[in-house]
Amino acid sequence: MSAAIAISAFYIQGQEYMRSLVRGQLIQSVLIAVASFLLAYYERSIDLLILGILLIVLRGILVTYFLLRQLPRRRSYLYERNVSVPALLLVDLVFVVIATFLVYSLAFSRVVPHSFLQNSSVLLFPLILFFQGLFLITSRRGTITQVVGYVEEENALILFGLFLLPVPIIIEASVFLDVLALVVISTVVTQEKDRHEPVEELKG
Amino acid sequence: MNEIMLEAFAVILIPVIAGILALKEYRISSVATSAIEVLISIAIFLSGNSSGIFYINAVSKVFILMVASVYLLSTIYSMEYLEKGTWLRHSYYFLLFNFFTASMMFALTINNYGLMWVGIEATTISSAILIMTEKTEISTEATWRYILIVSAGVTFAFISIILIYYNFGTLDVSSILSRSPGNSLVLRLIVSISLVGFGTKVGIFPVHTWLPDAHSESPAPVSAMFSGVLLPTALYVVYTIYRIDEFHELYIWAGTVSVVFASIFLGSQRKYKRMFAYSTMENMSIALIGFATGTVVGIAGALLLLVAHSFGKASAFYSSGNVLKSYGEKDIERVSGVARAMPVTGSSLILSSLAVTGTPPFGTFFGEFLILYAVYSGGYIIPFVLLAIFIPVAFISVNYNVTRMAFGHESKMRENNRRMPYIALVPAIISLAVGIGFLVVTYALV
Repeated sequence: MSAAIAISAFYIQGQEYMRSLVRGQLIQSVLIAVASFLLAYYERSIDLLILGILLIVLRGILVTYFLLRQLPRRRSYLYERNVSVPALLLVDLVFVVIATFLVYSLAFSRVVPHSFLQNSSVLLFPLILFFQGLFLITSRRGTITQVVGYVEEENALILFGLFLLPVPIIIEASVFLDVLALVVISTVVTQEKDRHEPVEELKG
Repeated sequence: MNEIMLEAFAVILIPVIAGILALKEYRISSVATSAIEVLISIAIFLSGNSSGIFYINAVSKVFILMVASVYLLSTIYSMEYLEKGTWLRHSYYFLLFNFFTASMMFALTINNYGLMWVGIEATTISSAILIMTEKTEISTEATWRYILIVSAGVTFAFISIILIYYNFGTLDVSSILSRSPGNSLVLRLIVSISLVGFGTKVGIFPVHTWLPDAHSESPAPVSAMFSGVLLPTALYVVYTIYRIDEFHELYIWAGTVSVVFASIFLGSQRKYKRMFAYSTMENMSIALIGFATGTVVGIAGALLLLVAHSFGKASAFYSSGNVLKSYGEKDIERVSGVARAMPVTGSSLILSSLAVTGTPPFGTFFGEFLILYAVYSGGYIIPFVLLAIFIPVAFISVNYNVTRMAFGHESKMRENNRRMPYIALVPAIISLAVGIGFLVVTYALV
């Protein structure tokens, strides 16, 4: 299950077409929701069940809706140019593997999950996802791509909490709403500017 | 619900109401509510501490009063500064401006680490669009960088919130802080991740990159709110998490490195608003060091520095706004003779520049002095030496550039508003009064 989520992150990094990127985000959110439902079943937890439902409704449906709504307006949103996918995937693989294993072995290897997942290295997966999101933001210039990178980071946190010890649902729900609001604001900016390159005025 | 709880509730709710009223009529509602906000924050300052729904202590009271004061000043300044026909309609500007203040107050008062995180994230949501009030391509890019860099950083900080819950089984600030501090790996992880994550919002090197862009492209009153109170609010959250396990070495060194780089960056600035942004980065890093010493002297120094800096920097950005309106230039090179052409703005520019660089007898000087004393007496000799070298470097960089702007070649420019120069002058004088007040009180006590 965790491996499938990590693979979805690589799928997102490998996309040039915006519609596929957003679809990748949707698949990833649904996978995490399924993980939440499975844990809810094993742990007999209502909170995890609500978390899964929130994930599907807020992230799966609403975030995808807001992102897709931006797509047809201008042609440039449909396809991100000058992206060398094979090279990026290779760099991504090396970067993520090194970063994750370094961070995990230095800091998180002694943090043991409370749930039945004890004694497994399951925390590796949210870390992989987190670095993937970070890499997507830094490696690409398109607004939608960067927003998807940010949502991926947030998904990593949900997964991290899910495996370790889920924080109270009221906090989790606030986090979801915050992310949704940020996506909505991003779409306002998206309407004004669809690519982000270095600017002479903002140097120094 | 006791008195202080009601006051804390009011201090969050009032800007929310002001924001909603602003959609109908923004002038009277915003000024009246921000004045009421100051009165309530004074009442909180004079009340006892609290640890129920809201966690109010001696430190947070100072922050609340600081936010309310700069909020009032910036509201009044905004009325004069905003021109007709901005991209963001004035009613929406004040809606977001008030929500921005409410989210800062929420982060400062709430007794829950998770909700504190929500408050900080809410400040990003409410303030992002304010940067592009006078929409240009560059301000849109600055907004985007602000959203993305700060959100990515604050998202990282959420790992520390999850770990707090994992370690303590609660997110209640007062109950976690009342437990005896441990020294486990998880606690170290919590405070380290929080420094990097929330540090993005505070402007700690190397995660400060959004700061000069957002400050230089925002309207002057928004820059004043960012520098004067938003960054200190994030610093308060960093400090509150730091108190779980006081990792002195990491925080003092992070602050010192940040001061060093801010001072170096200051030397190469060509635009005055970016220069003031880097000066904020320097001041926040010094305040972080003050809190990190964990001593009464260090914390008192940090508070004194933050209060005097918030007024000084508000004045610096208002003065910058006045200069920008008259000269229409952001480059230091292209502005000269402000003191003679615009005497009041010239005075506020010089005074505020002295205030934010820690010149005696401004409050910032005494704040920095106390912090340096705490660092030295704590045995952190190398950080002390580096600070003693680089704080003067920053002082010279800022004051040299401001002197060039204030004097230099004569200019035919004039003030283009009668009230704005005086609004800019008031906070500089308050910053001076903070320093003199500190001297008088210390003299009376000793």
